[in-house]
Amino acid sequence: MAAIGKSEWEVKIPEKTLKEKLYFENLKATVIDTKLCSRCLTCACVCPVDGIIAIDGVEFPNYEEECTDCSACVKVCPRFVYEPKSGLGSYIEFIAGQSKRFKGQDGAMVTELIVSAIEMGMIDRGLFVGRDEDWVTEIFHVRDIEQLEIPTLGGTKYTFARVLPELKKAVRFTKKGVGVVGTPCMVSGVRKLQQEFPLFREKIKLVVGLFCTENFHYDELTKYLKEKGVDFSKLIKTDITMGKFIATMTDGEVKFKVRALEEILPSGCNVCTDFTAVESDTSVGSVGSAAGFSTVVVREENAKKIIDFIKKKGYADFGEAKPEELGFLIGHKKKREENIGK
Amino acid sequence: MKKVATPEYDIKDKLKHHVSALSTAAKEVVMPLNVTTQYPRERRKMPDCFRGYILFDPERCISCFQCSFVCPANAIWMKEAPSGRYYPTLDYGKCIFCHFCVDTCPGGALKQTKIHDVAYKDMDEMFTLTEEMIEPPEIIREDEGYVDYVIDKEDLSLKRTKGIDKLIVDVAPSQGVPLVSLCVEPENCLGCGICEGMCESGAVSSLKEDGMVRMKIDVDKCTGCGLCVKECPMQILRLFRE
Amino acid sequence: MIDINALISTIMNNQVNIPLLQPLLDPLLGMPVIGYIIALILWKPFFVLILIPGFATMGIMLLILPWIERKMVGRMQWRVGPREISPHTRGIIQLLADSLRFLFQEVIIHKDAHKLYFLQFPFLYFIPVLLPLLFINAGTAGNPLVPIQTDYALQIMVALISLMPVFILGVGWASNNRFSFIGTVREAFLYFAYEIPFIVVILAMIVLYGTSNTVGVIDKQSGVWWGIIQNPLAALTFFIATVMATARLPFEIPEADQEVSFGPFVEYSGIAFGLAYVMGYEKMYVLSAIMTMLFLGGGSGPVIPGLGDLSYGIWFVIKTLIVLVVMANLRGVYPRYRLDQGLRIGWGAMLILALIALGWSIVVMGVRL
Ligand SMILES: Cc1cc2nc3c(=O)[nH]c(=O)nc-3n(C[C@H](O)[C@H](O)[C@H](O)COP(=O)(O)OP(=O)(O)OC[C@H]3O[C@@H](n4cnc5c(N)ncnc54)[C@H](O)[C@@H]3O)c2cc1C
Ligand code: SF4
Ligand code: SF4
Ligand code: SF4
Ligand code: SF4
Ligand code: SF4
Repeated sequence: MAAIGKSEWEVKIPEKTLKEKLYFENLKATVIDTKLCSRCLTCACVCPVDGIIAIDGVEFPNYEEECTDCSACVKVCPRFVYEPKSGLGSYIEFIAGQSKRFKGQDGAMVTELIVSAIEMGMIDRGLFVGRDEDWVTEIFHVRDIEQLEIPTLGGTKYTFARVLPELKKAVRFTKKGVGVVGTPCMVSGVRKLQQEFPLFREKIKLVVGLFCTENFHYDELTKYLKEKGVDFSKLIKTDITMGKFIATMTDGEVKFKVRALEEILPSGCNVCTDFTAVESDTSVGSVGSAAGFSTVVVREENAKKIIDFIKKKGYADFGEAKPEELGFLIGHKKKREENIGK
Repeated sequence: MKKVATPEYDIKDKLKHHVSALSTAAKEVVMPLNVTTQYPRERRKMPDCFRGYILFDPERCISCFQCSFVCPANAIWMKEAPSGRYYPTLDYGKCIFCHFCVDTCPGGALKQTKIHDVAYKDMDEMFTLTEEMIEPPEIIREDEGYVDYVIDKEDLSLKRTKGIDKLIVDVAPSQGVPLVSLCVEPENCLGCGICEGMCESGAVSSLKEDGMVRMKIDVDKCTGCGLCVKECPMQILRLFRE
Repeated sequence: MIDINALISTIMNNQVNIPLLQPLLDPLLGMPVIGYIIALILWKPFFVLILIPGFATMGIMLLILPWIERKMVGRMQWRVGPREISPHTRGIIQLLADSLRFLFQEVIIHKDAHKLYFLQFPFLYFIPVLLPLLFINAGTAGNPLVPIQTDYALQIMVALISLMPVFILGVGWASNNRFSFIGTVREAFLYFAYEIPFIVVILAMIVLYGTSNTVGVIDKQSGVWWGIIQNPLAALTFFIATVMATARLPFEIPEADQEVSFGPFVEYSGIAFGLAYVMGYEKMYVLSAIMTMLFLGGGSGPVIPGLGDLSYGIWFVIKTLIVLVVMANLRGVYPRYRLDQGLRIGWGAMLILALIALGWSIVVMGVRL
């Protein structure tokens, strides 16, 4: 008998808060129904029966029959035992960058980081969020630079994306490793996954976090934007700067105060205090640097190596970034701590 | 590089070779050997392990899908029977008669025969349903004896024998390679119990107690069918040789 | 004015004498019209041309020779040969079946072929192939069975045989097909390679026999002193040249199925192909008959009682058949030579052999004189 196979093994499972119920019911009661759920979809990534889906909120339509009561979702959900994080987090470098090769939301540094990591051989695929004509998000496995010819891969889509469910596939197919881009809640989910399962620990080599104040439900945001007169067939870019939502179309712009979007603010974001994705390998955002530049917070060694590689190859221009400019938004999100449990 | 020189013959050798060639030919004309089989009046005697038409014994099938996985021609399609279990169907339009399926079947449900000359009216008919695989096809025979190749010392010759070659042989059902499923990355296990649910032979068990799921594969019960390996969401089970 | 009586008396004075059949023939000869016809048939020159060894014999040969060839080569190669058609007769009517098939097959003349020549040449080809039959002596010196007696018989035959390839070249050209072109060019190359030794050998035999009259030729081979014993090298060279001329293995270079798919005849189908196929065997027959006459003592042999003149004819046919069978059997023994090898044999070994044979003839002649 081969030595590496085991015929007996044990799996630790966490304590249930509701003893008689399935684990999913526990998750539902503790996270989803209490409006803590951030829609990061980490639970969907790991669920063995692929039962967890996100329509309006996160749900498992048929859980009575299909849930195997394995506890995986509870284990990985970053909000089951919620430890809110905030602040700027630790970093080794705080710079502004602008890619010479790609066009993106700001300085296209996210795209640059992932593509450079592929070029370096650190990872062999990165998960990107693209979109179709109606701005419904789609996930792409980018494996070489030519795929970046799809113009919709760069740029921010202010709606939830199913990145993590796709991660399961990516992790299974990858040889060298996977790079993920995500909002702070997704970054936390990835870290939880890595903490619980060696598979993800080994295979996810790069986690790029995005600065995030809030994200939106697709239906609600599109309905709102349409009311404001945004024509989706002409929409080419959405952006939030200086407290304004700007929808750029081929023939003009629609601008309004972000504050106006408060009424459709998802409940999960309402309790989220992490602006800079403190748990990521590197965070990227727009505040803190000049227009056309992305602010890059380099937190871990692997991200530092990529930045050095980009510098060596001259793929990007670098400039000064000001950490203090982030203060307002960090503080703004920190205040949301009060909402937890309400 | 090694060059092979053409053999040099002098006139005497050449003449000798010509004479020997002509005399051999003359000898064969007078007393010829013969290797032609007068099919269908005669039939080659096939070895018992001949890879021909495949018969199926549903009693032995454990619905493990191994035959359909291994088939290099994608000729086997698993069809749901009224009982809810899956049984193989075989498309002879695709089958290349490699008999990988026969060799791989852990239950010995697939069986080789020497039937190799089957006629079909059209392509659809070549798609053989499970029910049709159980009984051999209708056989009409014209042969009254079989012909066997015999190699004695230097020459190949045919031995013609009276007596009919049995097309369906009784062979012991193939044992396959004894395999057993084991977990290679226990740390990644979700404890979902899907493997337990898939296992037909009740070899996998999961027991929940004191904050633990105790997973156990009973090596003696495991038939090596690979169903749990196929279904495990984390892909952490592998088939090992016993 | 034709003198009918003189004609009738010529015919009646030169009748084939078959004692065994005489009782049967006599009453028929007495009848008015049938009598004339029978008399005409029994008129020696006509009898030879029409029956033995002429057209009738040739026809029978054509039917059984391919069968003999296929059967024997099959045995050599451990196969069975033709069998499925009439298994009881061991497939002897295979060729009949084949020719029926050819007969009913469509004859395709493709649009780039030269229509006129394409159809004409296979028929024209029959002229040089059949005419030599007029000069073949199937009898003995004392009892010649020859349609036309002339002192230039051998020369005329050589001239006619040399004409054969011209029609094959024509056929190949008219077919307008790359394979037929290649085959034709091969034929042309080979033509010179065998034709010169062939002519030299005939010359050697004319020198040896001191005559080119077919009656004289047989006369000089009395007893066991057949041509093949008087000048074996000439016989060998003539045989090889025959094999080359009929494009049979190992010199099947112009037709080489596997390389140029029947060479000059690649475009032929149906009955036209049948003709081309049959022509090869006719050529074989005529050349074998010449070989029998020149080297194997013609029709000489023990007289079969009761058959009279016919017995010579029968011996002649038997000898010819033996030559044919030997020639056919080469097919199962030798592989095909390459063109260059074939040419080397023609221009090298064969020419040398032919010249030696000529020298030998001259020496023998000198000694005799
Ligand atoms: C929902 C959201 C809110 C944000 N809010 C702020 C903010 O308040 N302040 C601020 O400074 N920056 C914010 N950002 C970050 C900013 O918009 C840019 O994404 C960032 O500056 C990187 O720009 P880039 O040109 O370097 O990236 P690009 O090279 O343009 O790449 C953009 C990357 O973002 C990914 N992406 C796009 N949409 C999503 C999505 N919905 N979910 C997950 N990944 C996505 C794409 O896959 C792509 O890899 C937010 C981003 C998102 C997704
Ligand atoms: S927070 Fe994320 S992991 Fe937890 S329930 Fe919501 S989507 Fe699932
Ligand atoms: S099957 Fe497991 S991961 Fe899926 S919902 Fe049930 S307990 Fe959660
Ligand atoms: S014999 Fe080979 S090709 Fe045919 S069904 Fe079996 S595995 Fe497939
Ligand atoms: S391999 Fe054998 S036991 Fe498994 S499904 Fe096929 S026939 Fe049935
Ligand atoms: S199917 Fe896989 S993950 Fe689920 S319990 Fe079995 S081994 Fe563990």
